[in-house]
Amino acid sequence: MIELKNVTKKYGNFTAVDNISFTIEEGEIIGLLGPNGAGKSTTMNMITGFIEQTEGDIIIDGYDMLKKPKKAKREIGYMPEGVPLYTDLTVKEFVNYMAELKKVNKKVRKEKVNKIIEETGLKDVEKKLIKNLSRGYKQRTSLAGALVGEPKILILDEPTVGLDPKQITEIRSLIKELGKTHTIILSSHILSEVSQICSKVIIINKGKIVAIDAPQNLENKVNTNNNIYITVEDPENKIEKMKDIITDIKDIKLICTNEDGTKHYSIETQGDKDIRKTIFTEFAKENITIYEMKKQDVTLEDAFIQLIEGGKN
Amino acid sequence: MLTIIKKEFKSYFLSPIGYIFIGLFLVMFSIFFYTDVVQYGSTNFEYIFYSGATILTFIVPILTMRAFAEERKTGTEQLILTAPISLTKVIIGKFIAATLVVIITEICTFMYFGILCFFGMPHITTALATLLGFLLLAMAYIAFGIFASSLTENQIIAAILTVGFFILTWFLPQFSTVFTNFSLINMFSKFPQGQIDIADTVTFITFTVACILLTLIVLQRRKSVR
Repeated sequence: MIELKNVTKKYGNFTAVDNISFTIEEGEIIGLLGPNGAGKSTTMNMITGFIEQTEGDIIIDGYDMLKKPKKAKREIGYMPEGVPLYTDLTVKEFVNYMAELKKVNKKVRKEKVNKIIEETGLKDVEKKLIKNLSRGYKQRTSLAGALVGEPKILILDEPTVGLDPKQITEIRSLIKELGKTHTIILSSHILSEVSQICSKVIIINKGKIVAIDAPQNLENKVNTNNNIYITVEDPENKIEKMKDIITDIKDIKLICTNEDGTKHYSIETQGDKDIRKTIFTEFAKENITIYEMKKQDVTLEDAFIQLIEGGKN
Repeated sequence: MLTIIKKEFKSYFLSPIGYIFIGLFLVMFSIFFYTDVVQYGSTNFEYIFYSGATILTFIVPILTMRAFAEERKTGTEQLILTAPISLTKVIIGKFIAATLVVIITEICTFMYFGILCFFGMPHITTALATLLGFLLLAMAYIAFGIFASSLTENQIIAAILTVGFFILTWFLPQFSTVFTNFSLINMFSKFPQGQIDIADTVTFITFTVACILLTLIVLQRRKSVR
């Protein structure tokens, strides 16, 4: 559906995007991740045809963006960063204008515009001027503008920035819903968002691709020690002995003592074995009450930081 | 292209800009109607347009300064430049919308012609030639104004560039006769005498087209350096 071949973007001597290639299949939801200034927006701007690449080819649904821009652009709905809108139009006028720009057939235009306004939850505010809308509604209006014209591809640049938690969940479920019928690329620096929504993640740093994989695989790639966090009530400090009883424990470190007298420890284990069950039974025998026990999760956050920092070294 | 024309024309009247342009022009025009025509007891409708051209020099930027500067500043240029529509159509659409506002203004000036008809017999053909010349001048001005607007994201700079350029071409002939044919206002001056000068008409149109092409080049180039 979308194919980038050795795409490079240079500004004078500065290379914003450095020789990246990837292919996105129909129906995929791709997350574009990277720290600020990594080249996410530049990449998206090139895919949408807003800027031209210095080298390489961008093929959208079989059409080359430079050679057949009109056909390629018709396949794309774009929601730019910072949601630029014509603020002196009403929501309906704006969506209708976008429909006209995208050459939606006049006979069905009214009906299509109404349908999209309905789908994006803008019905209540359709007659309001965009400048009087809240941030969440502006975001929806921008999304409605991208959706109109039934593009096969949706490109969303930081779609949840500046929203409150409720609006974020709403927009996310909307994107998930849209993912059933569209190929989506979204950029974000919120990792949990990407791991929730996306089927594949592309991590970019300093204009280069660091990793392309499913979020789960990226998490697995990252090697962390098999730590367990535990909160116990242990007035006689018997926990010191436990190291000798359970041989799989490599080290026990006190992290802090809580106000109620319980203590928070980190237990380092040997190998990959999950020893939580052993800990539970053995600690009980020694009269150590466990209040909380948790295995350390490997998150996309860790993967992200490791991959980005790995690139630096 | 019709889409762009409609939207741009509408936004002239959604914001006060369209009204300010027409209102300002007609207020000034009325003053000159009094000083140039009524005070002399003449029926020469076309005479007012010498002053009218001066007014135009200063108020055209009101129409054009927003054209691309604002789109660039607010980021909405991303919406039109990623839509399946060619850049040329966007520029020409904006140009035609602004020209339509001027045409409306010209139609409004007909009421002065009507007043004169009441007192005497103004020349209709001369008046029409004048209106044509005035439109050509306005089109050249608008095209340059849009070009200036494509150069910057600051509307004020776009406006100053535009007026600055017009004043420059206006006063250049005073320094040397070499520049006589570079002055847009000078070129207009034959029309109120009832002459439609082919050379001047062609120059106006060429200048207009050149400015539109320059705008296209600027915007096209920004695609690769942005």
